[in-house]
Amino acid sequence: MLKITDLHASINGTEILKGLSLEIKAGEIHAIMGPNGAGKSTLASVLAGKEDYEVTSGTITFEDQDLLEMSIEERAREGVFLAFQYPVEIPGVSNVNFLKTAINEIREHKGIPALSAKDFLRLVKEKSALVDLDASLASRAVNEGFSGGEKKRNEIFQMAMLEPKLAVLDETDSGLDIDALRIVARGVNTLKSANNATLVITHYQRLLDHIIPDFVHVLYDGKIVKTGGKELALALEEKGYDWIKSAE
Amino acid sequence: MSGTLIDFCKQLEPTQLKLPSALLQAARDGVEFQHHFPTTREEPWKYTRLGRVAALKLSPVKINQSAERLLTAETIDIIFEHETWYCAEPTAGLHINFSGDLDTTAWNACTLQGHVQHINALTAQGGVAIRVDANTKITKPIRIIHRLQGEHTGLILHHQLVLGNHASAQLEVFFEGTSQDSYANVLFDFFIGAGANLHADMLQQTNGTHYGFHTQRIYQQKDSTFALQTITSNTHFTRNDVEVFSQEEGTHTQLYGAFIGTENNHIDNHTYVHHTAPNCTSDENYKGVLSDKATGVFNGKVKVYQDAQKINAYQSNKNILLSDSATINAKPELEIYADDVKCSHGSTTGQLDQQALFFLRARGISESKATDMLIKGFMAEIVGAVKSSHIQEALQTLLD
Repeated sequence: MLKITDLHASINGTEILKGLSLEIKAGEIHAIMGPNGAGKSTLASVLAGKEDYEVTSGTITFEDQDLLEMSIEERAREGVFLAFQYPVEIPGVSNVNFLKTAINEIREHKGIPALSAKDFLRLVKEKSALVDLDASLASRAVNEGFSGGEKKRNEIFQMAMLEPKLAVLDETDSGLDIDALRIVARGVNTLKSANNATLVITHYQRLLDHIIPDFVHVLYDGKIVKTGGKELALALEEKGYDWIKSAE
Repeated sequence: MSGTLIDFCKQLEPTQLKLPSALLQAARDGVEFQHHFPTTREEPWKYTRLGRVAALKLSPVKINQSAERLLTAETIDIIFEHETWYCAEPTAGLHINFSGDLDTTAWNACTLQGHVQHINALTAQGGVAIRVDANTKITKPIRIIHRLQGEHTGLILHHQLVLGNHASAQLEVFFEGTSQDSYANVLFDFFIGAGANLHADMLQQTNGTHYGFHTQRIYQQKDSTFALQTITSNTHFTRNDVEVFSQEEGTHTQLYGAFIGTENNHIDNHTYVHHTAPNCTSDENYKGVLSDKATGVFNGKVKVYQDAQKINAYQSNKNILLSDSATINAKPELEIYADDVKCSHGSTTGQLDQQALFFLRARGISESKATDMLIKGFMAEIVGAVKSSHIQEALQTLLD
């Protein structure tokens, strides 16, 4: 589904990703762990197409297409979803309104007719229940006055509504208490299928107790330096990143 | 600067209104004393140049009233078109008169300020005088529509709306149509009686090189409520002067505005709220979105007089500039002489929130649609305050 080869990316002239390679197949859950400043969030931003980052070399193919050639919205329409580390508040723009626009733009892109108002509302009801998001929050302005946990659950709610092929969760666990973490994880696990894939970016092992990864990668200094199964996350939790650094 | 104010007035016809002679004399003295159009050296015109206005070659728009009556449906309509007023049948407790039959008792409160009001007093060709009897609630909105047309026209109108004590009404005012190298000077006086309530929405949406000067003066008596929403969209040149005189205790005033400028549009909003009585509130919120080479001005002034204790006055102005060549000049002003008041004011100007734009695009929404959504969201507070369904619809179309 996703193939990243020797990716180099920089921001304001500083190279952050220094030859990252990664392949994700449909039905897989991958976790990327790593210390602060390793380039985890940069990877998420580059995948979503954030224009602040410059890709200096390397390739990313998504479903056999050149992802780097696509605009931000094209990537989303093709099925790439980024759950934001810091979800933005947008006063005056209602959650459901923007989601309706997003869903219908995606459907138009795929040549599917727009969703009827009735079907849309049914979907909102079904998917907001999945992450215990109060229906009144769904109709409020995007993230305005939401608690930290509500914002993160709202991200997963949007993911549930848009049904992406590849979901990238950028430190979705940061700032979450254990209950919210469970709800978020339950949402992600429910949405998992043989046709989609998930890339979980996290600092800590605790999210991986709830979302069980098939592969764990350690990102250090802009490169993936170690790949293993879920037991690698446990080893990291126990030994810290210094263990990897000294193994370098 | 070309032509004097007297020459400018001479192109137009002498007033058809029955103004008190003292006011008329004050206007004559005013244009003689001022002599020329004000320059940018004068504070109220610091960011609005009048050279093109002074140079306009105009012929006056004469005004008739049609005998034909419009049917009243969902609104009580008063339509100005082809130099003619068309008016709906009056209803119980609502009186509508034309051709300068203004309520002169109300005039005692008024003075004239500045060249726009002087020109209006000297050359107004008519206007609508609306009176709502005391204790009368007019449930259907009253709609005044100005359809502009032609070239080199000078349209000078003076409207008046008098709400009796404990009366209430909803007003919708439209300026629309296409007009080139033309001038309009339209003044509204609102007299809001004790305990009365007026909600007014105004849409300024004219096409062509039209120069529109709009003055609203509001006189509020005890415990009255007045709300004005001024929406200005893509007009070549607009100057709004809103002046509120809160004369007695317990008044509430709401002034909201949204202005959207493109190309070379120039939109200037001046507001002035006089709190002369205690225990009153005012809430002001203006938002602007400017693109291309559009320029905007916001100058909002609140003055709390010495005896006006326990005033709550809020003022906010926020602007978004969508291009490097768009300009806004914003100046919030507070002048407070009482010591027990709560006042706040603030003005911000920035670009579209890039994080929000990225977020919406990352959900599959195109850049242009995401931009529209953010602008709509920015304007939502103002749009939400508009009661007129016609103006709501116009705004939705405009913002989509």
